[in-house]
Amino acid sequence: MINIDKYAYSSKLKQTAPLKKLTFAMLALGVGLWADSVPVSVLVLLIMGYCTIYKGGTPISLFIKLMLVPISFLIIGVLTIAINASGNKDIFLFSIAAWGTHIGVSQLGMQQAAHLFFKAMGAVSCLYFLALSTPMVDLLAVLRKLKVPKLMLELMGLIYRFIFVLLETADTIHTAQSSRLGYLNLTSGYCSLVALTSTLFIRAYKRSDELYTALEARGYDGELNVLEEPYKTHWTEYIAPVMINLALVGLALLLKQYTGGVL
Amino acid sequence: MMEHILEVRDLYYTYSDGTQALKGLTLGIKQGKTTAVLGGNGAGKSTLFLSLNGIYKPTAGEVLFKGLPLDYSRRGLKDLRKSVGIVFQDPDSQLFSASVYQDISFGAVNLKLTKEEVRRRVNMAMEQTDITHLKDKPTHCLSFGQKKRVAIAGVLAMEPEVLVLDEPTAGLDPMGISEIMKLLRKLQAQLGLSVVIATHDIDIIPLYCDYTYVMDQGKIVLEGNPKEVFSQPDDIRNVNLRLPRIGHLMEILKDKDGFVFNDTANTISEARRVLKAWKINQE
Repeated sequence: MINIDKYAYSSKLKQTAPLKKLTFAMLALGVGLWADSVPVSVLVLLIMGYCTIYKGGTPISLFIKLMLVPISFLIIGVLTIAINASGNKDIFLFSIAAWGTHIGVSQLGMQQAAHLFFKAMGAVSCLYFLALSTPMVDLLAVLRKLKVPKLMLELMGLIYRFIFVLLETADTIHTAQSSRLGYLNLTSGYCSLVALTSTLFIRAYKRSDELYTALEARGYDGELNVLEEPYKTHWTEYIAPVMINLALVGLALLLKQYTGGVL
Repeated sequence: MMEHILEVRDLYYTYSDGTQALKGLTLGIKQGKTTAVLGGNGAGKSTLFLSLNGIYKPTAGEVLFKGLPLDYSRRGLKDLRKSVGIVFQDPDSQLFSASVYQDISFGAVNLKLTKEEVRRRVNMAMEQTDITHLKDKPTHCLSFGQKKRVAIAGVLAMEPEVLVLDEPTAGLDPMGISEIMKLLRKLQAQLGLSVVIATHDIDIIPLYCDYTYVMDQGKIVLEGNPKEVFSQPDDIRNVNLRLPRIGHLMEILKDKDGFVFNDTANTISEARRVLKAWKINQE
């Protein structure tokens, strides 16, 4: 998680207007979900991968590693869809008999599973593209421009800022506990973890108190107003992202017409 | 020009749990000077500082800014906090934004200035604290010393008249300490700021401060310029503090080894001067 953040800051696409990146990623996400087609999803995945790796300069190994993260969940989910039980043996491509019924994989199940798998991978790649090229601060600025409620944005900003402080504190406490053999066996491990968690809560509470005092000292009046550096964009910059997505829509419509939604 | 920009008169502060943090404290902050408030842990320094810009309302006694008692109304506090800026000890509890630039702009935006003016002040504050190159960095990737500078810049952007710093040198390495103190000296000279620092880092006081208050158990026990304060070693030691290292060395040389000096010394340059005079005297 912390790594993603670092890569976002060093991405070559960081200077690109965040709204453009958001438009691109969200449109592609929407098209991928709507089309429900394997080729379109694969294309989305490839486009996002290309943009992240070649345009953004994110190492290919990192991108693949991140794409592998959801795979384990996905495989379990997909398996439950692909494998069905039925009394009729004929609908299965292959099956085994068990408990007086047949368990196996049907063509329809296989097709659904493949659709789901690639749809999910395509969608995840869109989010990774955004996360690996756009720091949280920029994203929040865009959301603010899009009139997302202020309270939610302030919360997002504060949570993002203090996740790092919280992790650091947890890490320090953990180290201090381990160096006094707090995690020697399972029992002491659980005890230490309980202590760590409760301490973390108390620290967080104290920290929020201090933060409030510090904000008050700088004239806090209920809203975290800050000055944002505007990105200069021109509407022509949005032509490319929109065109790519229109092409995807076109492809999806063609596929639907000629293959009847099998692919 | 009035002498004291901030004045504290017979201040009492009791926390809601009954702890008496300040017990009749009186002091004055000289305009355009660096004042140190020296005290051990738990002497009440932080409580005093939070009383200086109205975060804490005293139980008894009063705080005066430019000769007028603090106005604790919403408006009054706003005006006060514009003029009296506090830099907290732990920058992590002061910096709320993940963006350096946005964090620095916060105080200035709260003053309801125009965008151009805010931008000018933020850029100025970053220049003054020498952090312009950190502008686009995320806050959590900065070193402790850099965070401290960002915290100072965030207060400077409000263009205060008094800069109050709680333990500005705590947690910094020797290089970091001298850089921060030189920075404060520079700001004070350039902007005519009145600087107040709370510290128990004794060795920086004779080097960087004009006036010193020694605090213990919620009261001022000693005051004067550093030379005067450190010429009373017994009183200093009574409140769990000590002389600056150089001052201690000079004291030992005088008392135990029979050296006769014409003056006291608390810094290396003062010691050199005194020792040179001693050498000439010997010849």
